[in-house]
Amino acid sequence: MKNKGMTIIVKTITRITVWLILVYGIYIILHGHLTPGGGFPGGVIIALAFLNVLLAQGREFTKNWLKMNLLHDLEATSAILYLIVGILGISFTGYFLSNFLPKGKLFNLISAGTIPVLNIIIGLKVCAGLFFVLWSLAIFHLASKEEEK
Amino acid sequence: MIVYILCFILFLVGVYGVLTKKDLIKIILALSIMEYSANLFLILFAYKSGGGMPILSKGEKIQGMVDPLPQALVLTSIVIELGITAMLVAFAIRLYQKYETFDITKIRRLSG
Repeated sequence: MKNKGMTIIVKTITRITVWLILVYGIYIILHGHLTPGGGFPGGVIIALAFLNVLLAQGREFTKNWLKMNLLHDLEATSAILYLIVGILGISFTGYFLSNFLPKGKLFNLISAGTIPVLNIIIGLKVCAGLFFVLWSLAIFHLASKEEEK
Repeated sequence: MIVYILCFILFLVGVYGVLTKKDLIKIILALSIMEYSANLFLILFAYKSGGGMPILSKGEKIQGMVDPLPQALVLTSIVIELGITAMLVAFAIRLYQKYETFDITKIRRLSG
């Protein structure tokens, strides 16, 4: 692994901006039922924040900074969580993915029943899935070099 | 009517890129342009002049919004485009390892 990342200027700026991008992505996910946005765009924004770290700091730092095993489990678990919420809809009301939580008041942050829950689950899935796509593209040639040896 | 013609011209730009360029990365970019023009076509179909966005916001009444169904379709289409682009880039990286070039006229050895 000769890739050690970019210069110290880029690294310092990235250290600050990554958290801002993460907060923005979480905002987009949590307000998915009120404003344009939702699980998919917010998840993409969070994954691109991780991509910033990968570009600026290099592969080795990212591998230690992000717990890859945890992300892997998160990606697999979120699909099952979505299914569980859907089946809970069957058991409460008789239809798949139907709402079983109290609806709350319109335009409140905590409202709209199961939609924010599903948005958060989709956000986790998209974030982990898209980051693993980018990560596997980044380590692609390393893996096949080991194969040839 | 003019916007549909412009949208079709954007599609033709993509077709031109796919057919004439020799660089694999440029072909992938041209394919993305074709996908964008298809998305734009669906969104233009749903638009009506003076229509607002189909989202309830505080203290606003919705009068004559655009059709939200094609927008939901386009969101799905964007997800699929993401998968297609990722797969094509993976193929391009693999081909670059084998041939050490992105030029499709030099990628000829079928048996590897």
